[in-house]
Amino acid sequence: MERERQVSCPQCGAPAPFRGTAVSLVCEHCGSTVVRTGVDLRLLGRVSAVVDDGSPLLLGGKGSFAGRGFELVGRLQLRYARGAWSEWYLQFADGVGWLADFQGNYAVTTPVAGGPELPGFYNMAIGTWHEVQGGEHMVVDKRAARYQGAEGVLPFVAEPGLTFFSLDLAGPDDQFVSLDYGVDPYGTRPAVYLGRAVELAELGLDRLRRFEGWRD
Amino acid sequence: MTEATPEVTRPRPAEATPRRLFRDEARTEAVQCLACGGPVALRGFGAIQRVVCPACGSLLRPEDSGALALIHRAARAHQESVLPLHARGRLDGATWEIVGICWRTVPGWPWQEFLLYNPYRGYRYLAYSTNDGHWSLGQVIPGAPKIVPGKRHAITYRGRRYRHFSGADAYVTYAEGEFPWQVQVGDAAHIDDFVAPPHGISIEEVAASDGVELTRTAMRHLDATEVWRAFEQPGKPPKQKGVGMLAPNRWREQALSLWLSCLVLLVAWYFAVQHVSAGASEREVFQATDLRFDGVLSQEVTIGEPGSSTTVEISFTAYPLDNSWAFAEVVLIPIDGEEAIGLGMEASSYSGFEDGESWSEGDRQVDHVLGRVAGGRYLLQVTPERDTSALAANDPLGLRLGTFGPFGVRSPDTWAIRVREDVFLTRYATLPVPIILGFPLLAWLLGRRRERKRWAGSDYGT
Repeated sequence: MERERQVSCPQCGAPAPFRGTAVSLVCEHCGSTVVRTGVDLRLLGRVSAVVDDGSPLLLGGKGSFAGRGFELVGRLQLRYARGAWSEWYLQFADGVGWLADFQGNYAVTTPVAGGPELPGFYNMAIGTWHEVQGGEHMVVDKRAARYQGAEGVLPFVAEPGLTFFSLDLAGPDDQFVSLDYGVDPYGTRPAVYLGRAVELAELGLDRLRRFEGWRD
Repeated sequence: MTEATPEVTRPRPAEATPRRLFRDEARTEAVQCLACGGPVALRGFGAIQRVVCPACGSLLRPEDSGALALIHRAARAHQESVLPLHARGRLDGATWEIVGICWRTVPGWPWQEFLLYNPYRGYRYLAYSTNDGHWSLGQVIPGAPKIVPGKRHAITYRGRRYRHFSGADAYVTYAEGEFPWQVQVGDAAHIDDFVAPPHGISIEEVAASDGVELTRTAMRHLDATEVWRAFEQPGKPPKQKGVGMLAPNRWREQALSLWLSCLVLLVAWYFAVQHVSAGASEREVFQATDLRFDGVLSQEVTIGEPGSSTTVEISFTAYPLDNSWAFAEVVLIPIDGEEAIGLGMEASSYSGFEDGESWSEGDRQVDHVLGRVAGGRYLLQVTPERDTSALAANDPLGLRLGTFGPFGVRSPDTWAIRVREDVFLTRYATLPVPIILGFPLLAWLLGRRRERKRWAGSDYGT
């Protein structure tokens, strides 16, 4: 594995462990957001505050999905009217992925290059079926969400306050598709993330958060 | 929903220091209701959106800081649910805690929904139908059920077909505890229930200002005693009445195995009958033909072996027989015994042409089988009678309107009798068939009755 260049947080001097193609990092020690552009580091300040959404996952946890090991290297927390949820940034040995984490429901997805041309966000009605990546999927969740906060490293700069639009689709065999329209609900080429729903237990995470009064 | 400017409690101490990335244990808390001052236990950890004070029903919202904000002051009385808030139980191999209780109703069908929580497994929905005492356990499913094309609304998911049971708006009538959604008394949601007892899928549309979600919940029937045992409740659960929406139908579940065993028994029966009938010798004891009607037949016959019994078949026929009848009184008198066997046998044949259709009825030959006839010597006596309406003797004027008297009527001139022993008893052989078929048919009828009761409560009930 490629050895990362050691960099430090411009705010507090603590190590800033950027890895892979990560673009932004929230300093574990002072909470500042640090953005990497080439070899330059830019300080965005303390813009991120992850709120407790009750997730049992922990940054730095290691597990595996479909026989491939991963580490939870970053967390993007989003908020909408019905609550907050987290998208965990997964670093596999040979790529990246996301783990959606909402109220005890989990799904692992990986980005798909060159997604299909689809109707805009507002024209995708709930309960309708669409062909994505060779399979029929039904729109089951439609929402506009705000970036709430982040932890660890992320492949983009998550600026709190921005509203972005996304849809979740489900397949008949538990396939999970996330369509990310970004900040433009009228776009017709959303970023496509493809994967499936998972049980927390099958990820075999080496560490989980502790909850008072609970053991399993 | 209008949310007044919140009154806020002081931040919880844990919020004052920066989180060390959630590495500390998440704590439960005991706070006071901002409206009534009553105790409120917070056991749902971070994902909670609304807290409803169990005592007064006031609606509270956890802020990001961890503090509680009062968003709706209420003064309703606490109501007892069938299970208490914060009870723990074991279901599906895991421990669950009731963190929220929500009473919901579609007109006429109220139920109590218990929100079960385990921080490592998420949420389950335990529902208790107040009217009939039936229970079900629900879990959100990741997949999308497919709609089955057809007249009756149905869906399939993971190879199972679910039929639409009902679709209605459900209203929240009471709530207490913690919820990861924005519960409020009076909230309405459209719910469609699909059933494949003891399983079901419920599809609920949840709309909010910034989006809409279609939640799919897989449900399965739970026995009331199972729930009571899981939550270690004292005494007995409320009695279950009628056929719940997801109540299992044992008659239906066992239909296949019943029909299969029925098939096996029928095959066994068929071979047994073949075997027994092949073993019957059907020996002729006596036969006489071309007998006239003016005499009585009296003949000594030997039937079977002395000391054992056999089956005897007596056949009687007469000729010609058109729209006419012949009768024989047959008596078997044992020469060395006492009890005579007597029987009357009528051969007849009628036919005609009526309303453009021809019809016929009667038997030209009648067979009668006697079971368990003791072996030995017998005197066979046959006294014949006949229909004489079409005989020459009844035509004293000699008009001879037709060769055979009234048109199309021919009275018999001769008769015949045959006696055979060791014949195969068809009537006993067929006896097991209705019994073999009876069990699955009965199960089918009972199963159908149960389904009718179930569906009477659906959108499709009569």
